[in-house]
Amino acid sequence: MDLLNSLFLSAPWAVLRAGLHFAFLLVLVYLLKQVFDLRTVTGLRHLAKPRAGFNLAVVGIGALFVGALAYQATWQLSGTSRQQFVAFMQSHDRRQFNPAHWIERGRILDHRGRVLAESREVASPSASPSTGRSQLGDARRISTEVQRYYPLGPGFAHVVGYAHPRFGTSGMEAAGNVSLNGGTPENWLEWGELGRQLVTRDKRAKGRDLVLTLDADLQALAYQRLGGRPGAIVMLVPGDGAVRVMTSSPSFDPNLLDGDLFGGHDPAARLLNRATAGLYPPGSTFKVVLAAQSLDAGQQPVLQCPADGFTTSKRYPKIRDHEYYSARRSGKVWRGFGRIGLGRALAKSSNVYFAQLGVQQGHDAFHRTLDRFAFNSRVVLTDGLSSRQLMRTGPVPRIARSDQYGLAQASIGQGKVLTTPAHMALITAAIANGGLAMRPRLTAAEPAEGLARFMTANTARRLAAMMRRVVTEGTARGIDVPELAIAGKTGTAQNPIGEAHSWFIGFAPAGRPRLAVAVMVEHAGYGSAVAAPIAQELLLLAQERGLLQ
Amino acid sequence: MPPKPVRPATLSDRWQLRAPERQLLSWALVAIALGFLMLLGAGPKDGYAVRWFDLLPLLTLAASFGAAHLVLTALGFRGDQLILAATALLCGVGLLAQYRMGVFIGDAVDPITYLILPGGVALMTAAVAMAMDGRYRVLAPALWFWALLSLGLIGLLLTTGQRFRGGVYAAGFITPTEPLKLTVVLFAAAFVDRHVKALSKWPGAIPYPPPRTLWPLLAFFGMLLGLLLWQRDLGMIAILSLALLALLLAGTRQPGYLIYSALIAGIGGYVLLAFFSHSQRRIAAWADPFQDPTGGGWQILQGLSGMYAGGLWGEGFGQARPRYTPIAESDFIYAVIAEELGFAGSILLVGFFLLLFARLFGIAARARSSFGMLTATGIATVFATQTFLNVGGVTKFIPLTGITLPFISHGGSSLLTAFLSLGLVLAISDGEPKPVKKKTAARTSAGAPARRRRARRTSSAAARG
Repeated sequence: MDLLNSLFLSAPWAVLRAGLHFAFLLVLVYLLKQVFDLRTVTGLRHLAKPRAGFNLAVVGIGALFVGALAYQATWQLSGTSRQQFVAFMQSHDRRQFNPAHWIERGRILDHRGRVLAESREVASPSASPSTGRSQLGDARRISTEVQRYYPLGPGFAHVVGYAHPRFGTSGMEAAGNVSLNGGTPENWLEWGELGRQLVTRDKRAKGRDLVLTLDADLQALAYQRLGGRPGAIVMLVPGDGAVRVMTSSPSFDPNLLDGDLFGGHDPAARLLNRATAGLYPPGSTFKVVLAAQSLDAGQQPVLQCPADGFTTSKRYPKIRDHEYYSARRSGKVWRGFGRIGLGRALAKSSNVYFAQLGVQQGHDAFHRTLDRFAFNSRVVLTDGLSSRQLMRTGPVPRIARSDQYGLAQASIGQGKVLTTPAHMALITAAIANGGLAMRPRLTAAEPAEGLARFMTANTARRLAAMMRRVVTEGTARGIDVPELAIAGKTGTAQNPIGEAHSWFIGFAPAGRPRLAVAVMVEHAGYGSAVAAPIAQELLLLAQERGLLQ
Repeated sequence: MPPKPVRPATLSDRWQLRAPERQLLSWALVAIALGFLMLLGAGPKDGYAVRWFDLLPLLTLAASFGAAHLVLTALGFRGDQLILAATALLCGVGLLAQYRMGVFIGDAVDPITYLILPGGVALMTAAVAMAMDGRYRVLAPALWFWALLSLGLIGLLLTTGQRFRGGVYAAGFITPTEPLKLTVVLFAAAFVDRHVKALSKWPGAIPYPPPRTLWPLLAFFGMLLGLLLWQRDLGMIAILSLALLALLLAGTRQPGYLIYSALIAGIGGYVLLAFFSHSQRRIAAWADPFQDPTGGGWQILQGLSGMYAGGLWGEGFGQARPRYTPIAESDFIYAVIAEELGFAGSILLVGFFLLLFARLFGIAARARSSFGMLTATGIATVFATQTFLNVGGVTKFIPLTGITLPFISHGGSSLLTAFLSLGLVLAISDGEPKPVKKKTAARTSAGAPARRRRARRTSSAAARG
């Protein structure tokens, strides 16, 4: 027996085993031949003459089995002609020797060709858990295994996603699965070539690279500046909808997936893409929507804004301005803005002004505006053959006609108004693009297409100028720098859970915008203090890298 | 017509008579031994040293079938010479696949595991010894005993069973309904044999089968299928219904049964689909497994992935990783074999199955008694249907029904029933003690006179009506 064991471990065993395999099949064939040769001896002649019809039954059954075998061959031998099947095996089959893994999955690149995901061959000791009686020493096989590697890690995990043998695929790895695996079904020649390469193994079969619109430097900086705080940053090119940054924090390392992430057990919700699916009150950043509504209606009313605030009914607490509270905290008395127009109200982010404005313009105008700004819908970011990536836009329920106070609250981006960071970025990009919102897209190969006109070009121009004033003389004065004309709007969104969310939306250069950005940091306080500096830093880096040319 | 060989008298003549069987059986065992060596060779690499004890499954297989061959020789058995070898090969491949899946590895192997195969072969041999020489015909008069036994078996399951994976299983995952494949066939064969004349006559302008003769059969089957439906055993329903249809067709040669059966099957299938979410899910997973690849389509796609990985020649026994396919050792054993032996191996395996079916139908075609012909037809249909449902399901040719592959899947009651059925067909192939006329064979040689009279009365009454 020891002899046998040492034989099994010796080098020639591999050859011998292949020989045995062949001999086994050969003996089976030989056995069938013998059955055929012995047919005269084994003919059961001592019984009656055969009845008619039974041969027919045997032939019929034979035909059924031949059909099943032929169908089996379409999977077993020419499985590559089924693109979904190849994709399934690549993401879910743990058999290392499966030829499908021999296909080198295409890389995922940013718009400048920096690698965001690639497949690497790594040497791995074969998974052979040592059973108790492993007296044969550590006879570990070294085999190569293809692993997906994400050089830039967590900051890109939500958009790029992961392709893992156990956990499947997500993000762009899922949406671009088919093309990454090497082709499209309409190209039969290419599939045949792929199948041939897999069988003969003369050349490593390769999938296609997928080029994204992301900018690796900007995205890395964005994720780093969030610093693990829950939040999200989205940056778009207003003119063509290209997504330069889409990051969500806290994130996970796609190189080290573990089961704790899945099944809703993770209290930090690291899998959630806060940029596209996180719902937050927009706070004062929403005032740009109200401003657009007013400008589109051709109105720039001058309204009396008392320091004491505004309410629709005595039963409800008054909506007041930020200055009122800070004066009261320091024991002073604030005299209020008095009579101000739209531009100054936006620059100073006057709650009293916008609450009054919203109520004045009424429910119908408000909901028409929401429809124009694509609230309550989903926008397709990438449409893959097997899956697609969507972004949510803010869900806002219909505000009852009798609910004046609800309308006043909604007009300053509180109450029933919720939105996603990606949606706010889209709105900002529309303002920067003359009122036309371009559909955000993640793959560079996709053509730019319009999504909807959020406002007239005239409105957009005037609103852009007002947003520039926010930075030069308003709430975002802190981020004004001489070398770059940034326009924007801060937001400090009250929420029932904790401290206010810090928001900033903006674009640059103000005169001919090249990038629009939305920054949201959960429970971080004033938008001017936390979100705005991050946006400024990102835009300055973009300028340095020539992205604002 | 050549002279009918009488049973050889001397032992040496008997030894001579079974020479072809011996030759084929030896080669089948050689093939299995080669496969086993291949399997053992994979052990040390995974850190598992081979011991003498590991040869036990192979030795058990060889000893069981060798002994069966010797007993048949000693009995002077004149019947079929291929079935034993074909079965030994199928069981051997099954043994290899199960050994490979770790059924025999580990310290906690139930000793019963080693005993199922020899027990089954012994059962088969005993059945041959008892039922050969025409003695199997005593089973025919016990018509209603088989019916009651069949219903009793399902009743037992429904009272003691528990639900698991959409089906009902008795304690310890024994499936007491497996013997139905034999008892129902015996009942239907006996019934059709007794009423064959009446069942063949379809009077009237619009042809339909005679209801006065048919109703007991229909009532029994209605009850049976109803209980099986409750148990959600769709595979068993398909197997038994097809067996009944085959029996009716073979006995009466009346193609009208085919038409009515197709109608009933169409309506039944529609109703099943409309009301049973279980079967809807199966159909959906079959039609488009990529709809839910990690849920409903997971098992079938894992099986197919393994097959694709195996390719034309396979990786060899012990080399592949079939464990990634859920419940591979029972329902999906065919996927394991196709993965490790490749497409070539699965063609050969199906070839041996077809050889077995051809042989079973051949015996049915030549059986002297009508009851023998019907029983053999029924058993052959059961085997063929079960194999097709399994192979077709695993290869996604047809929807998955979740039944075992005869002789190959791991499973006690299924294997024992299969061996018993095989023993019965072997006994039928032995022929009758002396030439008898076909149509009266079942009635003249066996059964109590009282039963015989009653049978005549029933059939004549039916003929009048």
